[in-house]
Amino acid sequence: MSKGAHSGHRSIYDTNPLHLPFVPLCGPIRHFPRGSPLMTPSVSWPQNDAFDPRSLRETVLAMARAGNTGHVGCAFSIVEIMAVLYRSFVRYPGGDPRHPDRDYLVLSKGHGVMAQYACMRELGWLNDKEHIERYFGDGSDLMGLSDSRTPGLEVSSGSLGHGFSVGVGIAEGLRRRGTDQRVFAIVGDGELNEGPIWEGMLFASHNKLSNLMMIVDANGFQAMGRTDDVMELGSIRQKLESFGFETADVDGHDQGALETAIRTLIASNSPRPKALVAKTIKGKGVPFMEHDNQWHYRHLSAQDYEASIEALRAEVAL
Amino acid sequence: MRSAFSAALTRLGRDNPDVLLITGDHGYALFDEFRKACPDQFINAGIAEQNMVGMAAGLARLGFRPFVYGLSAFVPIRVVEQIKMDIAHDDLPVVILGDGAGFVYSHLGPSHQSAEDIACARSVPGLTVLSPGDRYEMTACMDLAYDLRGPVYMRMGKADRGEVHAGTLSPLVVGEPICVRAGPADAPALLATGAMLTTAVQLAEQHGPMAVWSMPSIKPLSTEAIAAIARSSSAIIVMEEHSVHGGLGAAVTEIVTEVEPCRVLRIGIRDRFSKHCGSYDYLLREHGLDLASVKERVDAFTATV
Repeated sequence: MSKGAHSGHRSIYDTNPLHLPFVPLCGPIRHFPRGSPLMTPSVSWPQNDAFDPRSLRETVLAMARAGNTGHVGCAFSIVEIMAVLYRSFVRYPGGDPRHPDRDYLVLSKGHGVMAQYACMRELGWLNDKEHIERYFGDGSDLMGLSDSRTPGLEVSSGSLGHGFSVGVGIAEGLRRRGTDQRVFAIVGDGELNEGPIWEGMLFASHNKLSNLMMIVDANGFQAMGRTDDVMELGSIRQKLESFGFETADVDGHDQGALETAIRTLIASNSPRPKALVAKTIKGKGVPFMEHDNQWHYRHLSAQDYEASIEALRAEVAL
Repeated sequence: MRSAFSAALTRLGRDNPDVLLITGDHGYALFDEFRKACPDQFINAGIAEQNMVGMAAGLARLGFRPFVYGLSAFVPIRVVEQIKMDIAHDDLPVVILGDGAGFVYSHLGPSHQSAEDIACARSVPGLTVLSPGDRYEMTACMDLAYDLRGPVYMRMGKADRGEVHAGTLSPLVVGEPICVRAGPADAPALLATGAMLTTAVQLAEQHGPMAVWSMPSIKPLSTEAIAAIARSSSAIIVMEEHSVHGGLGAAVTEIVTEVEPCRVLRIGIRDRFSKHCGSYDYLLREHGLDLASVKERVDAFTATV
């Protein structure tokens, strides 16, 4: 069934045609000085108590249950990274996911998209009835991988190694426009197997894209097993450093540490692009999912769902 | 033809500072004029085609108008997935320029020869495919590619085969063939694209009265226009310096079998790689695409219709 044929369901595309970003931006080059009022966070932006990781994981579980999907582990490893980025760093003037002056949160590892959906739900860009409870329903809008037609998602990145390059292009464009907007690109450690990632790093470094921050979700797993067993990466940080990035390591589940590390990198005066290697746990938050790669694939049964919610709540209560 | 390309690109770049030329470290002297006129609009993305095409998508998202240049053996072939997912999926205004199509790099072997690019590009949803045949078509195709404001692949083949048109063309309509010479209804019509266009005109001059249609716009292709050509001729002969699988010949055949069945002879590169090294003209002979070989096939075909 085509999207338009689905009766009674108002598509998110109805009010947000894809071409919006292109047409209004074709004018002359605009300059926004650092600290421009356009860059201040929207007054309606959720405050500090929003993006609670436990609540985000519950949304992910609800979606996974509704859609009977896998990729729960991929989403759980980036929950705190997403929470901190949305809460403190990614700027959407007027709370508009398509605002031309926004920062760009590029999810290159598209498999973790449910964590981003969970944040978009807190922002009111997605709602329970249409999006969370109807996830993977026939004629529904949200894909199982990041899809740029959805307002709030910047790239279509199910095929790994794509999103980062698009993010590098956006960063190069923002540099050319002379704005202080930033690009945050979340890349998986497994995704680092892909050649274009390293091509993009060379370009970003050569062209001094200091407005680009690459965040590596180093959960130590990829589709078929541990990254160390499939394609050993050694020190990711050293590799990124040698590619000309200003780098930092961080515990990817410690929100305070993430906040400090990102703030420190942003505050740096170095012209180098930035990279944060976030050590994470695949499946984080539900003990029986942690470090267990079957949750890359395993579909969430009703029983799994109940056990996960219970485990998640018990874990946080400790 | 190459100077027409350079002039068109430079004119577009001067008119709109958002036009960017992005190259994968190719086009050594070709871009001197553009770089002189628009130095800040030139990006050498290095020998890294996948990242280059992804970046072009990112730049287009911000309102830039990227023209992405590479050799057609690499761009689009190597990056067909980036073109599909990063550019065409979002209908972004990026023009992909694939130079040296066909046997231009005759001495360098199959790695630099390109017989598959139209077939790959045709299958990408929403991607317009253009293939100019002389300098006037080059200028018109560049203007069309810019004005379409969507994803375009433009194939650039052998550039020194001479002019077919007498002068500047009126703006091209996407999908519409251009009538180069009219012909009788009881003879086959020749449809040619790219470097084979001049061969088609020479063939028609030697063979006797035949209509010649130039096809600078390969996808989309006007069903009505192809059906009309089929109706007004005894058969169709398609000539291209591209594989017979998935190229213009295939596209025309797909249309006529559905709406106006007629015999179609597809003259192109058969299903094999070049065996030997040699000049461009030598390789055309090796693949049966030189004028004499084509005439032989056309004569044999014409005798059967």
